[in-house]
Amino acid sequence: MTGHKKILLQHIDKPDQYTMSGYESRGGYSTIKKVLGMDPLKVIEEVKASGLRGRGGAGFPTGVKWGFVPRNSGKPVYLLQNADESEPGTFKDRVLLEKEPHLCIEGMLIAAWALQSHWSCVYIRGEYGYPYVRTVEAINEAYKKGYLGENIFGSGFTHHMVVHRGAGAYICGEETGLIESLEGKKGQPRLKPPFPAVVGVYGAPTVVNNTETLAALPWIMENGAAAYRAIGTEKSPGTKLISASGHINKPGVYEIDLGYPVERFIAEECGGIWNGKKLKAIIPGGSSVPVLRADELKGVNMDYESFQQAGTMLGSGGFIVMDETVDMVDVALNLAHFYSHESCGQCTPCREGGHWIEKIFHRIIDGKGQAGDMKLIENLCAQIGGHTICPFGEALITPALSCMKKFPEEFLSKIKAVEGETKGQGSGSRSSSMLAQVQ
Amino acid sequence: MSEINGADKNGTKEAKEAKEMVELTIDGQKVVVPAGTNLIEAAASVGITIPHYCYHKDLSIAGNCRMCQIEIKGRPKLEIACNMIVQKGLDISTQGSSQAVKDAQAATLEFILINHPLDCTVCDQSGHCKLQDYHYEYNAKPSRFEEEKVHKVKAEPLGPNVILDGERCIMCTRCIRFCDEITQTSELGLLNRGDQTVIAVNKGKELNNALSGTVVDLCPVGALTHRNWRFNSRIWYAKETESICTGCSTGCNVKVAVRDGQVVQVKAKYNAEVNKEWLCDEGRYGFQRFQPKTRITEAAVKGSTVELQTALDSFKAFKGQDTVVFLSPDLLLEEFWLIKKFLDRDIQKFKTVIAYKERELNDVEKILVSPDYAANFRGAQVFSLGGEKLESEYKDALAAVKAGTAQNIIIIGERAILREDFSSELLSGIAKAKNSIAIISDAESPLIGSVQTVIPERTCLEKAGLYVNRKMRLQYIDRLIDSPVGTNQVWRIINMAAQRLGQELISCANDRDLTLRYLQSDPRLSTLKIAELKNGGVLLTELNEAGRSKTQGGVTAV
Repeated sequence: MTGHKKILLQHIDKPDQYTMSGYESRGGYSTIKKVLGMDPLKVIEEVKASGLRGRGGAGFPTGVKWGFVPRNSGKPVYLLQNADESEPGTFKDRVLLEKEPHLCIEGMLIAAWALQSHWSCVYIRGEYGYPYVRTVEAINEAYKKGYLGENIFGSGFTHHMVVHRGAGAYICGEETGLIESLEGKKGQPRLKPPFPAVVGVYGAPTVVNNTETLAALPWIMENGAAAYRAIGTEKSPGTKLISASGHINKPGVYEIDLGYPVERFIAEECGGIWNGKKLKAIIPGGSSVPVLRADELKGVNMDYESFQQAGTMLGSGGFIVMDETVDMVDVALNLAHFYSHESCGQCTPCREGGHWIEKIFHRIIDGKGQAGDMKLIENLCAQIGGHTICPFGEALITPALSCMKKFPEEFLSKIKAVEGETKGQGSGSRSSSMLAQVQ
Repeated sequence: MSEINGADKNGTKEAKEAKEMVELTIDGQKVVVPAGTNLIEAAASVGITIPHYCYHKDLSIAGNCRMCQIEIKGRPKLEIACNMIVQKGLDISTQGSSQAVKDAQAATLEFILINHPLDCTVCDQSGHCKLQDYHYEYNAKPSRFEEEKVHKVKAEPLGPNVILDGERCIMCTRCIRFCDEITQTSELGLLNRGDQTVIAVNKGKELNNALSGTVVDLCPVGALTHRNWRFNSRIWYAKETESICTGCSTGCNVKVAVRDGQVVQVKAKYNAEVNKEWLCDEGRYGFQRFQPKTRITEAAVKGSTVELQTALDSFKAFKGQDTVVFLSPDLLLEEFWLIKKFLDRDIQKFKTVIAYKERELNDVEKILVSPDYAANFRGAQVFSLGGEKLESEYKDALAAVKAGTAQNIIIIGERAILREDFSSELLSGIAKAKNSIAIISDAESPLIGSVQTVIPERTCLEKAGLYVNRKMRLQYIDRLIDSPVGTNQVWRIINMAAQRLGQELISCANDRDLTLRYLQSDPRLSTLKIAELKNGGVLLTELNEAGRSKTQGGVTAV
């Protein structure tokens, strides 16, 4: 459990790290001073070369994303820090915002210089009261010191930063939903194209980066892309914060070198399964990624490509561990409820389908499941996935589908038990014949 | 969102101006359309319908209904046609050639319907509902949904004219976008999330802008209904006729449903050049406001009922006398044509005035409404029956009547003198005049008792013919309501009077005959077809000597 490079959490246990003096005493704000002397395009090249990928969940290469921004559009370029961290099981950005707010600001400044952006905004989820306070304090300190505002470090570069609090909607973590919300509208994702890099906040080019992504920038610019690439795997360079939760002895936020074996992570960092129970399943990347059974973990490493090979995703690093007592139908219902509740309601398949799926899981749990229910859910998922405005449709169907696929017997046993009881009843036969007809 | 789409729209416009054409394939057919066209319009140009709810060509792209999904060869996912601009070489499959598209459409309809109440039996939209139509056409399968439907507000007034049924709403947001982008009054918004989402009036507001009823037209389902016309008729019991609104001189295209002589609903008819698909509340809800409740059906001279022919003889006294002729601005163009001929030949010395008054318009009214209540004043001007200063000419004529300097007065049309101008001085001026005739329709007209001869006319809703709007667009107005026995069109009355005085002006069987005769009489108009005047109309300013429109821009196919 040692041996992981500490890039983001290096000073996390220093009590004064959140203050300007604490941060500066450990070398803070020295990187940005150097970066401000560099050609912005070189900064983008360096970040591209580092292979840093977006840590919010999608894993899109950060430097490439920056490269989409038109440089002479005549409009301002906006930089947004996505600190809406709303994926269930994910709480890594919270640690950075609370304990390393200046690291996030320095990362923002590096990105801002690369993009030649003079305005940025930290979009923090509404429930994050403490991270909000810490971030605002840090920004105020930075302004006082002249690290934000006009002529930063005498470079002639101007950059202003504001903080905006969300109002508690999951979908405002989706970058165009975030932009709408920031503009004062209802948090609903936009149609793409156009993409935010070209048409974002107030119609101007906009980059939205996750907090953790931005926090990695000072280290990369200080130590170079090659040093970053030396950590992790070829396709997943660097370190990743993992928010480990669930039935483990040591839940918490861990920084791991990408490519670290899952089983070792559970046994060592997480301290194994609690109460001497057996591991049943994990959701490795936040609740919207597919579940892995305990028997599927052998040889799987914690990085983008290995998880993909195993049929799941690294996602946001929200690592949820479930022991043998967990009822997977309950898991499916819980997540179906979450996602149907968080559907913004804009487009038809997600608005209507999400609730329908939840209602079917409900009836299965309530002992009113019907023979065709699993098929019906599968079919509804197919009707939603790929047919929505934003990726929320996929987020919604993935837990439902993967729970049923990985643990079919748990669903079937509930439905079969019911079937035995209701055999011969009028309503039951009517429903099943109707289902048979549609299938 | 409007900003992005605004940018897109501008792009579209510029591209169209450049006339760059793009070739693509839709369902195996080669399609050539101007660059910037979206796929729904591109498909429509070759007669392929891509079903849609939220898309409207004059509103921003919302892309939320997911009904217009199409398949693009080489792309893994279906795309929405409304948000996809044509590109060279695209190979598109619609429901006509792609099972995936068919499935997606059926799925969308299934989803839309799970929480939609089955109250078609009492819904005003039933029979002209896109949800019904599409379900029959693109899904038509029984629902697999067995759970309790979501319940929402059933009858919430959004404003003085519109009521919302939240359960029927499919969240297409056309109404919201209309109020945001067209009237720019932003009364409406979405409240709540997921399947609890409802359309709601924004805090402190009311849907009371001058075009508010338009949202009902835009609503593809029965969620928004007219407060005035709720539950008053199944649409299939009414006869729907396409016509022109006679409220002002904008000449908005309308579809009017009439049942038993009563207007039961007025809808906007799309005309890209005139009113798009918008209509003002005053015109829509007041469609029958110029239609008198009780009618004059018999001619009278000095209070005694007479034969029409006898009444027509009253015109004889005007020949060669100085005559003031008050003309209603809602007469047909053909009627002005014949009136002009009649006055020139049989009255000789006359001065005509049009009842025309301007009023102040608010910002929303200015989008559509003209500052007058004179639908066809341009038609009168075509025959020089009104001068440049319509308003002061009309005022002067009224003053002359009051002062007793006008001794021979002919009043043609119920609105030839505005109700508000009937003062006792005016009426006594008319009563004291040497000769006076009124061709009117309202049995309660203040003129009765003051004017010597009364001849019953048909109203503008009871005849068909031509109107010229404020911008000189020639359009066709159709007959909507049956006229009472005993009434005649003004043109027929004038023609009979002419015959009585010597010789008829024209020999015509009916309104249509007259229209055709009129068109043939003018070389510039002789090649025009009534059908094109009904569908879009023709700008008179764009006609050249040979008659044909110089550009096709003036004529808009629907």
